[in-house]
This record gives sequence, structure tokens and C-alpha cells, in this order.
Amino acid sequence: MIVTPQVLGRIVAIAVLGVLLQLSFFSQVELFHVSPDVLPALVVCLALLGGSTTGAVCGFAIGLFVDCLLVEALGISSLVLLGVGWSAGTVRERFDVHGLLVPALLCMGFTLAAELGFAVIHLLLGIDAPVSPLIVRDMLLKSVYAFFLAWPIYLGVRRALRPALVEEPKIRRRQPTVLGA
Amino acid sequence: MYRKQVRRRRAVLALLIVSSFVLLSITYGQGSRGLQSGVSTIFSPVQSVADRALKPARDLVDWFDKTFDARGENSRLKSQLVIAREQAVAGQEALQENAQLRSLLELDRDPAFAASAFEEVTGRVISRSPTVWRSSVAIDLGDGDGVRVDDPVISGDGLVGRIASVGPSSSQVMLLTDHASAVSAKVVPPGVQGVIKPEVGNPEDLVLDFLDSTKRVHRGLAVVTAGWRAQGLASNFPPGLPIGEVTSAPVDEQVASQQVQVRPYADLRNLDFVQVLTGGSR
Repeated sequence: MIVTPQVLGRIVAIAVLGVLLQLSFFSQVELFHVSPDVLPALVVCLALLGGSTTGAVCGFAIGLFVDCLLVEALGISSLVLLGVGWSAGTVRERFDVHGLLVPALLCMGFTLAAELGFAVIHLLLGIDAPVSPLIVRDMLLKSVYAFFLAWPIYLGVRRALRPALVEEPKIRRRQPTVLGA
Repeated sequence: MYRKQVRRRRAVLALLIVSSFVLLSITYGQGSRGLQSGVSTIFSPVQSVADRALKPARDLVDWFDKTFDARGENSRLKSQLVIAREQAVAGQEALQENAQLRSLLELDRDPAFAASAFEEVTGRVISRSPTVWRSSVAIDLGDGDGVRVDDPVISGDGLVGRIASVGPSSSQVMLLTDHASAVSAKVVPPGVQGVIKPEVGNPEDLVLDFLDSTKRVHRGLAVVTAGWRAQGLASNFPPGLPIGEVTSAPVDEQVASQQVQVRPYADLRNLDFVQVLTGGSR
């Protein structure tokens, strides 16, 4: 990805929009008693298009922004999401990612990894209250939701960042029909 | 050239990881009030607009979710209705008795029961934490509305939580299901006291802990805030705020771990409007 100031502005806009949508919409709706978490999927999509460094920086920034808006201890979301971004970017650099199924599967896997990461950090930091086994259901359903939400997120992010993508094939235009030929 | 690039990437990664740990070490347990307050002040109007704009879409998803739940809930509610009718009759009698006893003892003048000292301010929920590990919501009330840290927050059904932090135009509410939440409560009618704690990851269940193991608590009893006051110290919560209902109270669990399961009255997963009780005794 070639990061120009214009592309950087688009990435910032995508990140802000993603965080606001997550906090104002996805966190407040539930399907089968579980709210979707689109932020790991968003970071994975940015990393798949931009590489490991872009993924790590985006993950860190998005995590920091979320923690600021939630007035929580800074660094927890940043640490988890930067790990997700770096790992997804590394996958993209080592393997060819074609089609839409692979990004969706990667979003699903990395969302599960992110939820596990949140769990590990919070447990390490100490939780006095008992932990319900329903946490496992929450993690699994969140990753399933990420699989389905990854399709529109990946397509949307790819479309927004198209000018910066090196390998993105140009849109084929139909040859204009010459009238009267 | 390639090695230089790889080194630079690793340096960026290391810098970000170190920054995360530094931020975590500095802000864990206290938060970076300046930065967070600034960011939330800038974005709370945007969040408020986004919240209102996305309400129809949220309602649509909620409709699907509730339709799935409705079938199972119907039979459960029918059986609850029968119990509630019996309790309502008993409650009417208790209310009459209570009014008579209060007038006799003049309890209304006791400051410990002066719930009227609180003023209710209604706010809208504008955002919610995305992980189950932190159970908090942001509301569009701040300093200017008289909201202070530790003010109780209620919904139409009962206690929701307390104010964890206050900004100029928004506040964070720590819900009853947050792992750091603890509220002194009592079971009525026996009056057995304990502490309401959450079960992380399960918004439908709370645990009433530290119960007196010599007294028995039964399923179906109501749990309300204890609202204690002693030696100049007072609970942040006024007495008698409904919290939930005892759903499971096996005798062996009460004896062994001195706790029972409680289902909160308030639907903590679907909060649109809440009320903050401001101006309490602090």
C-alpha cells in the first residue's frame, strides 16, 4: 500500500467510523445474547490490504481510540488489536490472499484470537468476580459474526483504499460501442 | 535495503508494544483523565447523533433477537405471572402494614431513609463497551447536569450501576455486571444482607455473596439496596432500590459458600434511557 496523506486521511476516517459504529450500534445490539465485535475484523481487513506495519499501527490507534472513548485503562485494546493487525499483515505478506472467503475466515480466526487475548489480559490483571462459562459461547459467536461481517467490511475498506493498493487490478471498462459502425 | 526495511518494521512493532505496556501501567486502575476526557468531550456529540441515527437499525436487530426469544419467554412469563399475582396480594397487605409502622416510628424523618434527597436526571445511553470483560455504558450527561462520580444509576426496572467517571458532557456508567462492581444489598422480607457481585460474562445472573449462613433465603424473594449508614459513612445507594430476584438458592450453597444467584430486574443488555440519582449524601 502506498500511504499518501490522502490515503492516510481515508484510513483515519475508516477507523473513526468503525469505532463509532461499534460503540453506538454493534455493541448495543444482540443476536442470541451476544453483541458482534467488528473492530478486530476491521483491523484484519486493513492489515490484509496494507501489510503488517499498517495493521499494527491501525490496531494500536483503533485500540487507543476505543479505550479513550470508554474511559478505560489505556493500552489493553491497543495491545490486543496491534497483535491482531501485525499477525494478519504477516499472513498477507507470506501467502497470497485471493477472493473473499480467505479474508472472512481470517477475520473469524483473528476475532477469536482477539477475544482470547482480551480474556488473558483481563484475567492477568485480576478479576475478583467469578467468570461465567458463557464467556466461551460469547467468544465463539463473536467470531462467527465476524465471518459474516467481514465480507462487507473487506469490500468497503478495499473500495475506499483502492487508489493506494499496488496489486489491485484496474476496473475493466467496456469498450464504447461505436454507433453506426 | 530489505534488511533495513525489516529492521524498521520491527522497531515500529517494538515501539507500539512498549507504548501499550507503558500506557497500561500508567493508567490501569485510574485512567488518563486528561486525554480520555478530551477525546470523549470531542466525540460525545458525534456519538449522541450516531446513537439517535442508528436507533431504528438497532430496533430492527432487537426485533429479530426478541422474536427468537419470545416463544420460550411466553411460558416462563405465564408461570411468573401466577407467582406475581400471589406476591401482589401479599404486597398490598405489607404496604398497609408498613405505612402504619412508619407513621408510628417516624422512620420517614430518619436521614438513612431520605431517598428524596436524590434528584433524578434522565440520560440517554450513547455507547457501550464491546467486550464482556468490561461492562460499562456511556451516557449523555456530564458535569453540567450535576452528575458526580459514584452517583447511583437506575432504569425503570431497578438499579443499573453507578457513575464511574464524569466528563463535561458525558459520563461512564459501571454496570452491575462489571467485574469491579459491588453493591451492599439485602433480601426482603427476611432482611438478610450481603454484597451483590457479578458473574463476568453472564449479564443475566448476579451473585449475592457474604450472606449470613444461619438464615435461609428462598427462590423468588426480592433483593434491594441495603443503603447502610454508620459512623459518618454512608452507602452511595439509597435504601430500597430494587436490584433483582433470587433465582437459585440451594441450601448447601448457602451454607458452603454463603451465596445465592440473583437475576437483575433491569435488562442490562438493552438500555436506552437511564436515570442518575444526583445530590446524594457524599
